Amino acid sequence: MKKNRMSKLNKILEIPEEVYSDVPKISLVGFDEMIIENYKGILEYEEFFVRISTYHGIISINGYNLNLETMTNDDIRVTGKIESLDIERVTD
Amino acid sequence: MIIKRIINYIYGYLRIIVEGYYIERFINICRNKKYTMWNIKKNNDIKISLNIEIKNYKEICRVARSTHCKVKIKAKRGLPFLINKYKKRKIFVLFLLIIAFAIFLSSNFVWNIDIIEENGAEIENIMEDINQAGLTIGEFKGNVNTKEIINKVRLDRDDIAWMGIELKGTNAIVKLVKAEGKPNIVDEDEYCNIVSDKNGVITKINAQNGTANVKVGDTISEGDILINGWMEGKYTGVRYVHAKGEIEARVWYTKNKTIEYNTTEKHNTGNTETNYGIKINNFKINFPKGVSKFKFYDTIETESKMKIFSNFYLPISVIKTTNQEYEEVKKTYSVEEAKSLGIQEIEQELESEIENKNNIVNKNINTYENENSIDIYVTYEVLENIGTNEKIVF
Repeated sequence: MKKNRMSKLNKILEIPEEVYSDVPKISLVGFDEMIIENYKGILEYEEFFVRISTYHGIISINGYNLNLETMTNDDIRVTGKIESLDIERVTD
Repeated sequence: MIIKRIINYIYGYLRIIVEGYYIERFINICRNKKYTMWNIKKNNDIKISLNIEIKNYKEICRVARSTHCKVKIKAKRGLPFLINKYKKRKIFVLFLLIIAFAIFLSSNFVWNIDIIEENGAEIENIMEDINQAGLTIGEFKGNVNTKEIINKVRLDRDDIAWMGIELKGTNAIVKLVKAEGKPNIVDEDEYCNIVSDKNGVITKINAQNGTANVKVGDTISEGDILINGWMEGKYTGVRYVHAKGEIEARVWYTKNKTIEYNTTEKHNTGNTETNYGIKINNFKINFPKGVSKFKFYDTIETESKMKIFSNFYLPISVIKTTNQEYEEVKKTYSVEEAKSLGIQEIEQELESEIENKNNIVNKNINTYENENSIDIYVTYEVLENIGTNEKIVF
């Protein structure tokens, strides 16, 4: 109930959802750069395969020459040739 | 992002290689402990390279040990390492600082004075006057009071209409406008005569105001009164007026020249030698290449000031002296050739003097042949309006 009211207020104020909640935001810039906000950690990292866990599921990226550029607490930037993107939803 | 990079560079960072089987675990632990890492790249199955801050290095080593990874430093980058590197080269850094300081110091002085005259008019001795007023080469820029200098120079001289000094870098640009000598203007309501300003013979005289002093056909010389500034009436007596009128006269322009039949002419062969020298303020050093090979030569000296940037002049200038070889060619003219050459030269000179070429009435050429030379006299007869106002002084 409390959460609902918060979200209503935020909707009025038009604050982006990823700022106040832990919903991951995935943005692709071209096919070579990907920014994931609100991530939890890295599960696997190979040059051709990256698995990143978020609060709502797991994102797995296929490609080649994948680099993890600029890791901060909230977001991670993956660069390289991205071929495909899979999402594994966590069901409660 | 760029600001972050710059800050990282200032504080210094390391590129390390982590080797081990639990690399993802290592990354996650580091992330949880909020160590900043960037440019993570997998080299092969068990090796990654990444950038970290210096201050976290020991902690990261500890994390790596707990995850059974090996840490190797690949490169040290950033300002702290650079400073460390140059700590051993103290003299180099010292001289770098000295040079920077010297440039800073010398930029506070005037090293070059450019004088720009409007319309290419030349004003004599202006440099000395400017120097006397306080703007000299080597003067501290803070001491140059442009307003005061302008006032001083303008007080000393009366041939300057406008003057401006602009300090640009180490360059002082002095801009000048020369004052034109103003004609003698006599007021309309003042009494004046009309006076001849040339020698000639009157062909037409028309006095609108005043009394004509000369008749048509009279020979006049410079300074003669043409129209008197008074009128005489039968009943009114002598009355002074502002003389007015048109006077046309035949004026002769004569020029003569002597041309010798045998002359030597300079003829450039195109061979040149250049020597260089350095001038520091007033101290000159030449680097000559021995005595010149040429028998006859002209010396041309050009001085170019050294400058670092577009307007940062140094008190050092490079002097380039060029010796141009010439041959003396003997030439003999026949009488006819000498005559035509002389006439041509004189005609050119005369025609540049005469304002309106359409008024040329007559051309007269006299030649007198001597033993070695020929004298040529050319006279132009021109119809001109003459006369200037001259105030009557009682």
